[in-house]
Amino acid sequence: MLDLSIEAVEVTFPGLATPALSIDSFHLPAGGHLAVTGASGSGKSTLVNILTGLERLKKGTIRWGGTDIASLSESRRDRWRGETIGLVMQDFHLFEGLSALDNILLPARLARVANAATVERARELLTIVGLSRPEQKVETMSRGEMQRVAVARAIVRKPAVIIADEPTASLDSESGAQVAELIVTLAEREGSTLMVVSHDPALIERFDNRIRLVGGRIAQADAQVAA
Amino acid sequence: MIRFILADLNRFRLGAFFIAAIVALAVALGVAVTLQERALRLGSARAAEKFDLIVGAAGSETQLVLSSVFLQPSALPLMTGKVLSDLEADPRVAWAAPIGFGDFFGTSPIVGTTTTLVKNLSAGVSEGAIFAREGEAVIGADVKLPMGSTVKPMHGTLGEGGHTHTELAYTVVGRLKPTGSAWDKAILVPIRAVWDIHGLGHHHDDGDADEHDHDHAAAGADAAKPADAKEPAGHDDHDGHDEHEHHAIDPNQAINEQWQGELPDLPAVVVKPKSIADAYKLRQQYRKDATLAVFPGEVLTTLYATLGDVKQVLSAVAAGAQLLVGAALILVIVMHIGQRRKQIGALRAFGAPREAVFGIVWLELFGLVATGIMAGLVLGYLAARVIAARLAADSGFHMPVGFAPEDMTSISILLIASALLCALPAIIAYRQPPASALRG
Ligand SMILES: Nc1ncnc2c1ncn2[C@@H]1O[C@H](COP(=O)(O)OP(=O)(O)OP(=O)(O)O)[C@@H](O)[C@H]1O
Ligand SMILES: [Mg+2]
Repeated sequence: MLDLSIEAVEVTFPGLATPALSIDSFHLPAGGHLAVTGASGSGKSTLVNILTGLERLKKGTIRWGGTDIASLSESRRDRWRGETIGLVMQDFHLFEGLSALDNILLPARLARVANAATVERARELLTIVGLSRPEQKVETMSRGEMQRVAVARAIVRKPAVIIADEPTASLDSESGAQVAELIVTLAEREGSTLMVVSHDPALIERFDNRIRLVGGRIAQADAQVAA
Repeated sequence: MIRFILADLNRFRLGAFFIAAIVALAVALGVAVTLQERALRLGSARAAEKFDLIVGAAGSETQLVLSSVFLQPSALPLMTGKVLSDLEADPRVAWAAPIGFGDFFGTSPIVGTTTTLVKNLSAGVSEGAIFAREGEAVIGADVKLPMGSTVKPMHGTLGEGGHTHTELAYTVVGRLKPTGSAWDKAILVPIRAVWDIHGLGHHHDDGDADEHDHDHAAAGADAAKPADAKEPAGHDDHDGHDEHEHHAIDPNQAINEQWQGELPDLPAVVVKPKSIADAYKLRQQYRKDATLAVFPGEVLTTLYATLGDVKQVLSAVAAGAQLLVGAALILVIVMHIGQRRKQIGALRAFGAPREAVFGIVWLELFGLVATGIMAGLVLGYLAARVIAARLAADSGFHMPVGFAPEDMTSISILLIASALLCALPAIIAYRQPPASALRG
């Protein structure tokens, strides 16, 4: 559980007249839940990339619980991300040829942090997300099942922060609702800070705390943003 | 990590298989060239080591060596038989033995020589005994004949339209231990018998105008004369080759290897000098006028020099092929890595360190390439073995195919080079920014 503070952040891309993202000041308390909306191209994914350190920040500061992620080296940032952030994307990014269980454990194993307890937790999470066959190969699963595996993978290392970028966009409404429900309840159960980027009204309405991006800026902040 | 790599390889198993197979073929090519060349060199050196000095009629040195050491069929020029008796009498000579060719039994050459050469050629007999009578033969280790079988010599091979001699049929009385040389395919008989069959070595009845030493009556040949009376029944009936002036011979006549008297012309004499100094003196002495003396080892060295050039060309071709294969593979792999930017980015987005990405790409590639190299070593070795076995079957000339200690160096260099080369795509993957990898 970490709080987020953003100061004077600006992300520009070559060939783009206005910044893709420009946020003067924003704060999300530890354990807070936030929904981010906005039109296509408004900078939502750009925000996710800099918050997770996938994209290096050149201007401004982003602190997660006091850690200035721009100050971390590329390798350190990889390690920090693995320990701190659970990511769910619109595309599932599961690895074919591996079972559901192995997919959940893959990043932890590659980071050499998977132990018996991690495997136990992965099995437990599989039941929680409603999957009964840990050894099933992911390529044989339905899209809804795949995204549930991805959700389990995101939280297997007990991340302090869960970030989801359009987690329901490529699912039908029923499995989308299941996944939305899982993400919110699991974040609550784990006490993780949660940020969800979405167009999905059914998902957004579960959040009291919402921001809307327009042209890379926070145009509208519902509810109690400042804290 | 290993499980992920295996799953990944399984997904791309066709491509993975071809990468390993192409590497294997390229490596096998180089290995086969190296091993084959070495086998040829070692095998021929081994075959020649029993022959210190060979004296023949003036002509081609190479042909003299090929015909005597490797028993390559060819019409060697003849020199006077006096050379043999002179060499025998020479104090610098430990022993000297004539060799005479021309007859075959099937594909096996029948070589006329003396017991001295036979004893020095091989480590003895594996069964039976060395010939002691004119009608006896001892066979090389690779000749597939049972003891006691009859060998009817044929002049020339069947393919050359040769004819069968009927004056004498040899009885196989012994088999020599393997020598690893072409002589393993040969049937060795007393040189006297060869002379007698061809009507040589008798007084003047073959009308040899060049014969020397007329004052020494050919005692050995005379001894064989009475054999006419005892010629095996049934043989003379089929003799339709009068133009060769054949002579019936007594197969039970004990052989006489004393060369007093007039000797027929000879293609070659194998000489064992008493010392190295003697060898050089003898070679010099017999390298003039109508004779030629060679150290087979030296002639082979000259041949190897030529062979070495051929090997360099072949090695260059093999190396070029390997280089092309390497470059093409790197290109394909780099493209493949580019296509998998998304997957690589995802690995890092979900918490795998970039070092793990490097490790995966490197290990996966190097695993494939190393497998290919190992398979190539085996394949090249087998190919060299097959080639050597075929040559051995054809010529009886054994070539020891094997890896030498210096090969370990080349193999290590190859492995290290490919490990470094595999690091290139791994570095590319390592450096790919994860965010751009995930987009779109
Ligand atoms: N690497 C880049 N180079 C150039 N322009 C970029 C790059 N990445 C993003 N952009 C631009 O930045 C803007 C914001 O993109 P972003 O992906 O954040 O949008 P988004 O809000 O996630 O849209 P969507 O809802 O379609 O996913 C877009 O105009 C996009 O073209
Ligand atoms: Mg987006």
